[in-house]
Amino acid sequence: MVSAGMTEMLRLLHGEPGRLPDGCAAVLGVDHLVVSLAVDGQVTEQLWSSGHVGSTFEDLQFTLGEGPGTDALRTGRMILVHDMAEVAADRWPALLPAVAHLPVRAVFCLPLVLGGITVGVLTAVRSAAGPMTGRETDDAVALVSGLTLQFLGADGVQADSWVGAPLDGGLHREVVHQATGMLSVQLGTSLAQALLRLRAYAYSHDRSIIDAAEDIVSRRLRLDEGDPGPDPDPPEETEG
Amino acid sequence: MTSMSREQRVSAVFVQVADSLIDDFDLIEFLQQLCGHCVTLLDVSAAGILLANERETLHTVAASDETTEMLELFALQHDQGPCLECYRLGTARIDIDLGDEAAVSAWPGFAAQARRSGLRTSHVFPLRLRDRAVGALNLFHHGAQNLTAQDASLAQALADVATIALLQQRDIGQEQLEKAQLQYALTSRITIEQAKGILAERWNSTPDDAFHALRAYARAHQLRISDCARRVIDRTLDTGDIPRPSSA
Repeated sequence: MVSAGMTEMLRLLHGEPGRLPDGCAAVLGVDHLVVSLAVDGQVTEQLWSSGHVGSTFEDLQFTLGEGPGTDALRTGRMILVHDMAEVAADRWPALLPAVAHLPVRAVFCLPLVLGGITVGVLTAVRSAAGPMTGRETDDAVALVSGLTLQFLGADGVQADSWVGAPLDGGLHREVVHQATGMLSVQLGTSLAQALLRLRAYAYSHDRSIIDAAEDIVSRRLRLDEGDPGPDPDPPEETEG
Repeated sequence: MTSMSREQRVSAVFVQVADSLIDDFDLIEFLQQLCGHCVTLLDVSAAGILLANERETLHTVAASDETTEMLELFALQHDQGPCLECYRLGTARIDIDLGDEAAVSAWPGFAAQARRSGLRTSHVFPLRLRDRAVGALNLFHHGAQNLTAQDASLAQALADVATIALLQQRDIGQEQLEKAQLQYALTSRITIEQAKGILAERWNSTPDDAFHALRAYARAHQLRISDCARRVIDRTLDTGDIPRPSSA
């Protein structure tokens, strides 16, 4: 269950996109947070960090090309390290000695993913070793869901839908993800862009994303003909 | 299997389940097989497994019948229905008559959709972890059905097996890891839906047919279906290698 503290953080995040609100790290019981963007599994940009310890750790792991964040992006799974001092030396042979001087014992890297769409990674570091509690884990998952939707441009227009009500309106329906996959082939785009096009179509036609997705999956609607949508992409060759 | 007694069939299923849990098993495939076992052992029409996310809303991770219609029926339980009730209370409930006035008024959208799909009875069992539930096993029958006490305890045992599989570890205990594993199961499911869409568009097939083709390919090559789905998405799997569904 998401805590009241995190619900408030999500509300603040919605009001000021692009930076994590002060107090987020405290709610998660960690010292520092870093948010990085990724394209094709590679970090492209450190978007925000709460201080130099986190940003130094993040820089080192992506410069050296190994570490929990890299593993999180590659596998789409959370990588939870309770104690860097206990990690086998051959797991991240270049990173471990490089970060040994930092006050970082526990590291939690949570990928920002929606199924096969990866937009970045949240790295949380703590100077004390040990796991997150169950409540902190729920809060961290809620935070990365919020960030993921924000980066996908899917963070609805009404602030109400952000707080309290399910964050993921429509995203619990299989048909929306199926339609996203179909559209990515039709339009020759990434899944992230396809989802954005689906949302843009639904919004501009005043329809729910679920209705629009059902029409696409049942082939009553194509977005690559007739209705170019607000941001047409040139069709590309797709394999298969 | 027809010549086997019921006890023999039950123990055969549990032996198979125990075998599958060894090594690096395919979670989604495992849960789907478990749903299939529910259908045959408990004589129900359909079975599905739903998991709660961090916001305590339910999402489908596996079903015996992967048709869009059935998936929609499970998806409706996002905010209403017997699964949500079972998850919140942490208790099983059997022999729910979906035409009954109480069911219709408690879950109007869900009950109506279930009746349109020709389903009359529902049974729900919690996926139990210590003193709470992390999800639910949902069974449906086309007709009126009363589960025997023996069948109800078998269904609960199968739900417990699903929980063990989801947590993928013998020594359960660290809440953080449990939650990470549940979260990954939900993510994997979305990945599979996206891959279904990609394949359906390439093949001009239905998502259902695309799924069956992808699953057959994963099985034939002893790959995890969720890994295959990821590789379809990042284009490291040449979809030309997957035999197309016959209807496409």
